[in-house]
Amino acid sequence: MRSLIVLLALSCSCLAAPASAVAQEGHPIKGSWLGTWAGNTSHGPDIVVVLDWDGKAITGIINPGTDNIPVKNATLNPEGWVVHLEADAKDKSGRALTYVVDGRIENLHLPGRAVTGTWKNQKESGAFKITRQ
Amino acid sequence: MTCGAVRALASAVAGVLLAAVPLTAHHVILAKFDESKRVTLSGVVTLVDWRNPHVHVFMNAREKNDRTVNWAVELESPIDLQQGGWNRQSLRPGDAITVEGIAARDGSRQVWGRSIVLTAAGRQVLNLTPRAPAVPLSARPVPRWPDGQPRLGSAPGGAAGYWAYPSATALMEDGAGVAMDADGLLRNVTDAPRVAPLQPWALALYVARQRRVLQDDPMYLHCKPPGGPRQFQLPYGVQFLEDRNRQRIFVLIGSGNNNFRIIYTDGRGYAGQIAGDDDNPLYYGRSVARWESDTLVADTRGFNEEFWFTNGGLPHTDRLRLIERFSRTELDVLKYEVTIEDPGAYTRRWSSTATLRWVAGEEMPRHLCQDNRP
Repeated sequence: MRSLIVLLALSCSCLAAPASAVAQEGHPIKGSWLGTWAGNTSHGPDIVVVLDWDGKAITGIINPGTDNIPVKNATLNPEGWVVHLEADAKDKSGRALTYVVDGRIENLHLPGRAVTGTWKNQKESGAFKITRQ
Repeated sequence: MTCGAVRALASAVAGVLLAAVPLTAHHVILAKFDESKRVTLSGVVTLVDWRNPHVHVFMNAREKNDRTVNWAVELESPIDLQQGGWNRQSLRPGDAITVEGIAARDGSRQVWGRSIVLTAAGRQVLNLTPRAPAVPLSARPVPRWPDGQPRLGSAPGGAAGYWAYPSATALMEDGAGVAMDADGLLRNVTDAPRVAPLQPWALALYVARQRRVLQDDPMYLHCKPPGGPRQFQLPYGVQFLEDRNRQRIFVLIGSGNNNFRIIYTDGRGYAGQIAGDDDNPLYYGRSVARWESDTLVADTRGFNEEFWFTNGGLPHTDRLRLIERFSRTELDVLKYEVTIEDPGAYTRRWSSTATLRWVAGEEMPRHLCQDNRP
């Protein structure tokens, strides 16, 4: 019995190891996303978006640690998996910008799913694509 | 017994077509194979690959253009085949066989074998009738510990045993009455809203998983553990190992990747005393239980989102909390009632009930989902 318990305890320590961050089977928008908003001269072409779902609303932040742009309004319409994001930021001169992203989740079934669409602010617009990490 | 005798015995047994057997395989058969692609192959066995999670028989079959091609015939697990009287020598390279089955969706030369006939003998060599334990004529008393508490495992001094043959192999709300198969595939996908009180996104995701014939199941793709109620829905059962000295119960799981869950009965809370299990969500969450009369009530939180918590693909989030009630109503019957609370995916709490049967005198099968081989 003692050896069984030792075996189980050892196995337990393996189970308690950090889980793989590859898969994500919950809310499809939740997670860390990496990609580009092409042509963005104010905040650069690369983008990181971290999104969460609390059961009622989507929250998130764009470029955490660098630009720290909080997501003001985010929705996911499961009919067509249509994504809409809004965020207020400032450009290099301190002028207020409002970003609007409209896209759609592609490859919903994959952990590495993507959101593709367009982005725009008062000055610029372009293609948008982020892939879930 | 010689190999020849084994083969003779196997070929002498008139089989039952696999199609009629409600077995739940390691993966959803129809996720990989297409029911509409019926195939009949005649040829010669080249190799028998006797491994979990599925046995494969490779054979050379002649096509209409007289070209010989190699096919992989996928069968159930070695456990199921052994229960049906097979062993790794029931078929051998060189045997002439005729296989009936359904072909792979992706067009590869793979077939799910439903019938294998030894051409020379003209007899079926597959017989996979599930053998549920016989129902006792009268209810046998619940085995108890000296203090009167029900035992969830074997009777004192008794033979080995485990729980299997669940009355339901996919979750749905009590009273929903939705028709689905053993894998949780809905007979009519428009019934999806009736299965559980899903939020709109969760309903859409559930429907999407159903429409893809559950082929994205992480247990199928990556041998992810069957956390939540799913551990009680799988074909090879569960076993409760009650460690009363250490005040915890190990739930050993015969399917998936053959791991286990711990239910603490020492009154601890949800602040982890074990590094990693409070702030790092796990496949089996963190279970804390107490006895209410003869019922073990387990409260489990801290699940991750990397698995499907039921056959059929109902979604959950890391806000999932389960209240599970285990009642051994008689020696041979375990009642399992689960209440699902997940404000991330459902609009309200809901409950589902099933029973499991005691398989006395047998060790729980060890079915390792090894090599991630689908």
